[in-house]
Amino acid sequence: MWIETGHFAAILALVLALTQTTAPLAGALLGKPAWIRVGRHAAIAAFLLLTLSTASLVISFMTHDFSVRYVAGHASLNLPVFYLATAMWGGHEGSLLLWTWLLSTFTAVSAWRHWKSHPISMPWILVILGAVLVGFLMLVLFLSSPFERLFPVPMDGRDLNPLLQDPGMVFHPPFLYLGYVGFAVPYAFSMAALITGKAGEEWILATRRWSLFAWGMLTTGIILGAYWAYYELGWGGYWAWDPVENASFMPWLTATAFLHSVMVQERLKMFKIWNLFLIVATFALSLLGTFLVRSGVLSSVHAFANDPGRGVYILGFMSVMLLFSFGLLAFRSEKLKGSISMKGMVNRESAFLFNNLFLVVGMITVLLGTLYPLAVETLSDAKVTVGAPYYNKVFIPIMLGLLLLMGIGPRLAWRRMSSDRLRRALVGPLVGGVVGLVAAFGLEVNHPYGVATLGLIAFALFSHISEIGMALKARRKRFDQESGPVSAWRLVTRNKRRYGGFLVHLGVVLMAAGFIGSGLFQEERNVVLKVGDRTSIGQWQLTFDSLGKVSRQNWVADQGTFIASRAGGAPVVLTPQKRIYERHAQPMTEAAIHAIWQEDLYIVLGDSVGEGWSVRIYRNPLVSWVWWGAAVMGFGVMVAMGQGRRLRRRKG
Amino acid sequence: MVNEESNNRKNRRWLLIVSLLLVAGSLLTLVFTSFNDALVYFFTPTEIQAQSKDLEGRKIRIGGMVQEGSLTKVEGTQKIRFLITDGDSLVPVRYDGMLPDLFREGQGVVAEGVWRGGQDFPASQILAKHSEDYLPVEMTEEGISKAKSSILKSLK
Repeated sequence: MWIETGHFAAILALVLALTQTTAPLAGALLGKPAWIRVGRHAAIAAFLLLTLSTASLVISFMTHDFSVRYVAGHASLNLPVFYLATAMWGGHEGSLLLWTWLLSTFTAVSAWRHWKSHPISMPWILVILGAVLVGFLMLVLFLSSPFERLFPVPMDGRDLNPLLQDPGMVFHPPFLYLGYVGFAVPYAFSMAALITGKAGEEWILATRRWSLFAWGMLTTGIILGAYWAYYELGWGGYWAWDPVENASFMPWLTATAFLHSVMVQERLKMFKIWNLFLIVATFALSLLGTFLVRSGVLSSVHAFANDPGRGVYILGFMSVMLLFSFGLLAFRSEKLKGSISMKGMVNRESAFLFNNLFLVVGMITVLLGTLYPLAVETLSDAKVTVGAPYYNKVFIPIMLGLLLLMGIGPRLAWRRMSSDRLRRALVGPLVGGVVGLVAAFGLEVNHPYGVATLGLIAFALFSHISEIGMALKARRKRFDQESGPVSAWRLVTRNKRRYGGFLVHLGVVLMAAGFIGSGLFQEERNVVLKVGDRTSIGQWQLTFDSLGKVSRQNWVADQGTFIASRAGGAPVVLTPQKRIYERHAQPMTEAAIHAIWQEDLYIVLGDSVGEGWSVRIYRNPLVSWVWWGAAVMGFGVMVAMGQGRRLRRRKG
Repeated sequence: MVNEESNNRKNRRWLLIVSLLLVAGSLLTLVFTSFNDALVYFFTPTEIQAQSKDLEGRKIRIGGMVQEGSLTKVEGTQKIRFLITDGDSLVPVRYDGMLPDLFREGQGVVAEGVWRGGQDFPASQILAKHSEDYLPVEMTEEGISKAKSSILKSLK
């Protein structure tokens, strides 16, 4: 019963989305404000209806309604309640409904929040978001409906893929989608700005928080996916340059470029066309990400749906979007030419330019590696994969270049800088860099990339510290009655955006250390152990203590107990498992991980081999720095989002 | 004086453009040179038989089904040997290491390694299909059905 309600609500929502696309368009062209208001109400009503629709699917899961094909395919009577409630996005159809619902939520929020502040752009924003909503609703309703019934009704469902029965996998898709869909709003604003011919700085200021929000969510989503891969897939790593991972990484790269280059436009009114290009690329790559993952063209864990119809549809949808956006951009580009040009090398806008260069080359690298195999397969029928070495070779230099820029950029002035001031600005960072290099020798880092990373990390860190120190000193000179902590607090809260950005940079530094540590210095050991056997890795001494069976609601497992101690320290117990889920024949490995700040000890239990068990042990240096770095980044984004429009007013 | 100033500015702009091009150029060179080395082509056992000589020393992937009854283990180690089949041809594969969860006889498998003609294929990595509903996309419908019928034959 519920599912029909949801289905009907979704059909009504499609009608409303069509209204939202057409009424404001006619209203803006014919000068009828009432029609634009119709579009706004339609947007809000469509959101309410899609909320009902999404809720109906969740309710069908909660009530084990296996007469719904999608529920029968992704749940079972024995599935724990937590996974039951979130299985709604465990498959293709439901996750597209989630995408659509998030889009309608954001549409309703922007129609509500920006209605008064952006009266001229609003009709076009409604039209564009409405068109995207129509596109996705048609996909949901006609090509991948989660509302279909199944007859005869099975007694029990086919269960959720055990790989997905994990908290990391539960939160990974919604965050990723919040990021993907979040970029729809800046995209719509940018297009509205182009159409109305007011492509100044207004759209960038209006969507600053949206872009930050979307970027923060996308980052979180990607990291959650990596974290999940790390402890669930049992291969000792977290990033395999799998096409699906790449799909989410590409919009991240262009979005990061965008977040930096908009500052140049705000400040100097330059890079106008470039910023529009970046936001179009980001949203297009978000659609491409959805397309790659959801069409089944890639051979990957995620490609559970193999339906060319959907692929063709999303491809068509993307082509229309790209033709429209770039067509509009080309058509209007004459108007956007700025009067100010670049002035020399050593200033902040050049640093941003180089930052964008690195990020965009990164995006091209990933795009090439991801799409080339598809192109080869389509054109020549040969099958080819692009290995991880390609990406690593290119991305380590890109990361180092970005770290270098991160150390220089914040210390440079806009436009022009005297060589004297430049020298003073770079003394601190250079001292830091030297300290880093010395530290690298002290720690006996024996890989050139390791040494370079450590030097550049220290360079960037010292640069930020001396920048904050100088700003603090200047403030205390002006307000000499303030106490130190009060000064520091006010400094940060008066420019949350800048210091939020610094926090994000700190997160990047931590992550860079983690990438290099775990990427270059991982140790791996493949052994066959009998109960009672000992082995070692790095400074760890391990004993295979015992083997037993454990069981939970819907699985049973062989569980090995390992006792490990590092350099004679206190012993820790690790329990890797090999689980068999009910209704699934294949076993699933559950790695056991013991994390300390220097490194992770990571144990995977394999098959029984004769009297022993095959065991794989990894020592992963600095892995947890990646997760902590991501947490710092997330916090930085929140601080930066705290900055409202005040920035603009203060500048006059 | 004014002229010198504007000349100076022009020079600096050129410097910027040239250094941008240099950085972009060297990065893109890096991209394209690394790219060709990292390409790993996929072959079925039949294709391997046909061009064994050409593939000598190249890193490749071989895909098919694990022939039923072909899996042998060296007791007490992780060393295994098995045959990959596409229904027509067989390729013997050696591997030493932990197997993926989903590896078993009669199931789809992809082995990666450097091809040395005339001996067992020394796989450095074994990939099995990741979920029960999923077959490696590299396998065509035809290959799967052929491999299955061959498995049925081997059962008789």
